[in-house]
Amino acid sequence: MSSEIPDPDADATPCAYTDYREGEGAEELPATGEDATGVEADVWDALYGIEDPEMPISIVDLGLIYGVTLEDGHAIVDMTLTYSGCPARDMLTEQVQETAADVEGVDGAELRLVWSPEWTIEMVTEQGKEDLREFGLSI
Amino acid sequence: MAALENPADLDEREREALETLLKRLADDEFVLAERYTEWQVRAPSLESDLALANNAQDELGHARLWYDVLEDLGFEEQELVYERDPADFRHATLVELPFEEGDWADAVLRSYLYDAAEELRLEALEDSSYPKIADRVGKIQSEEAYHLEHAQNWVERLADGEEGHQRLQDALDRLFPHALTLFEPVDPDVETDIVDLGLRDATLEELGEEWLSIVVPYLESLELELPVSSQVDDDTFEITEEMLPEKRGRDGSHTDAWADLHDELTHTYRDLGRSETTKIMEKPE
Repeated sequence: MSSEIPDPDADATPCAYTDYREGEGAEELPATGEDATGVEADVWDALYGIEDPEMPISIVDLGLIYGVTLEDGHAIVDMTLTYSGCPARDMLTEQVQETAADVEGVDGAELRLVWSPEWTIEMVTEQGKEDLREFGLSI
Repeated sequence: MAALENPADLDEREREALETLLKRLADDEFVLAERYTEWQVRAPSLESDLALANNAQDELGHARLWYDVLEDLGFEEQELVYERDPADFRHATLVELPFEEGDWADAVLRSYLYDAAEELRLEALEDSSYPKIADRVGKIQSEEAYHLEHAQNWVERLADGEEGHQRLQDALDRLFPHALTLFEPVDPDVETDIVDLGLRDATLEELGEEWLSIVVPYLESLELELPVSSQVDDDTFEITEEMLPEKRGRDGSHTDAWADLHDELTHTYRDLGRSETTKIMEKPE
């Protein structure tokens, strides 16, 4: 039996295509709202409570939120997704928009889905990296 | 080139150019993804099955990024995907053809021909005068790089064996004329506008010739024979009328395979009498 199984190639490397390209971060990202004050800070706090649908990590620590601005009580959230084909896109964007709109002092919220700069693993915060390691990812 | 910032300020010519460019991009990705999914649970190995399914998901994501931009012009996603007349789809015939049954060589060669073209057209969109297009290019390129690598890896692997080589040759004979339709115009005047307005900075002719200058030497290096000659001299290539198939896709003429595929992909939507697409919900409503 065993003689039919070819010897493994001594030079083989495990799955050449598992190449987690690190990518470049953007200077002002990840944004976490640490300098925000007042209602803007409350919006960041509320968004911190939303988890990625697949992993136990806040979407803020994952680096998906690029910015929160408040204009006359109207919140504008700039957000990206890790992956263009994300099947949870509508679920997540609606949750973010509703969460921002529900913050006391916010009259309405608008979500702008942005794709530039594109998300990379460099946009995960240190806290986020810890959460992902805890979950079992090597990052 | 002045940026075309606000969709409300676009004149008729600008709108038509933008709509045409976006439909070319989105429909190619969408229809190719539909075809790729036919391989799910049928690819030759678990790994190749996962890889192609993943590429299909990427292409659907990219189609959606382009359909999103079409919403600036007043379209809605369900109209574009499920309610549009099949003759209004602008994809190249390459992506609508069914795979030869069980022929993995068809899938990987098609992927190579397509992804090599997509790399060039994305480059030509990097500085698009429509900012939403330019902003999306980087994200798509970062995902597409894997597709081309995957396709070439498989093409080379198949070319290395006798049966695989023959299958690739058969697929090339069949697919090559249809791959050329990737560079065909929807309407020649509108295509001129696309470039004049800076929406894309290379003409279809330039993209087609550049593509030929890449894929022809590559395929020949694998001892595959091109079914038609496109070489003018050592490093000049061109697409001529007689090389093209009867149906071109871009101009709204499609093969019968498209009618069947369109019928299939819209079947459930029509059957259930839907007027919008369903979504993944956090909690069922």
